[in-house]
Amino acid sequence: MTAPFSLIVTDTSPLFTLVLADSLDVLLRPRLPVSIPDAVYFEVTRVRGAPGADGIVEWINAHLDTVRLVPTEIGIDQQRRLEEGRSIRGLGELAAIEALERFIRASPDANALLLFEDSDIERRRVVIDDRVALISTGDFLRELERAGLIQSADHILALASERGRNVERQRLTVSGEGARRGLREQLSGPGAMTRND
Amino acid sequence: MSTLLHPDRAALLRGYAEGSVTWRDLREHGFDDYIQVLGGLGELGLRPPIAPMSGPNVEARRRGRALIARLLRTPSDP
Repeated sequence: MTAPFSLIVTDTSPLFTLVLADSLDVLLRPRLPVSIPDAVYFEVTRVRGAPGADGIVEWINAHLDTVRLVPTEIGIDQQRRLEEGRSIRGLGELAAIEALERFIRASPDANALLLFEDSDIERRRVVIDDRVALISTGDFLRELERAGLIQSADHILALASERGRNVERQRLTVSGEGARRGLREQLSGPGAMTRND
Repeated sequence: MSTLLHPDRAALLRGYAEGSVTWRDLREHGFDDYIQVLGGLGELGLRPPIAPMSGPNVEARRRGRALIARLLRTPSDP
């Protein structure tokens, strides 16, 4: 019997990078089950109006046999904090640690691979045992490149930022239009001043 | 220089792209989500960094890369 293994996504950044480069499917290439903790998923979906966020939701739904959302206590705390207007920064990673602990505890043979964003994994010490390995988005793409499965890691990252620019411009335009619409409504609403006032 | 980016944010993003600023630092300086980071990098003609093989987690990262390399070489089931 094969020992259980999972790729656990610790942050939204690999998901946003890959979805904008139309490359989310590369996460499935190693043929490992992919676990996305609830708090990471929620951080993705709260980016309202971002095409990348919609794409991630669609991708998860298209691969429910391989990709699963993991409920965590941290995820429950995240909802509570949101209701109370408190910060939820960094909870995705804590939820990933909780998901990892549950996964490892469930079987003595279980192994896991934690997927991190590059700059954080280079600087911060992650305490793990021998059954857990780490990989960054960049490391992952480099291995795909070495295996000849993608043209180049740099190309995917460049595509993500190029498309990110378009998405961000679109978001700024929409929020600008929203503000202008709100102002127009205020000016034309009851009690608004008219030119003849 | 992009007209859509505040100079402070542009400086942070340049630091991020060259490896002196982390994603965590960016969050602490007001970047709400990673789409903003990618968008800002795109405005500046930059791309996200790939971390060099250094730092406190190198051994665990090497294990991760070796594992992925092995899995990618393994043929699919018929």
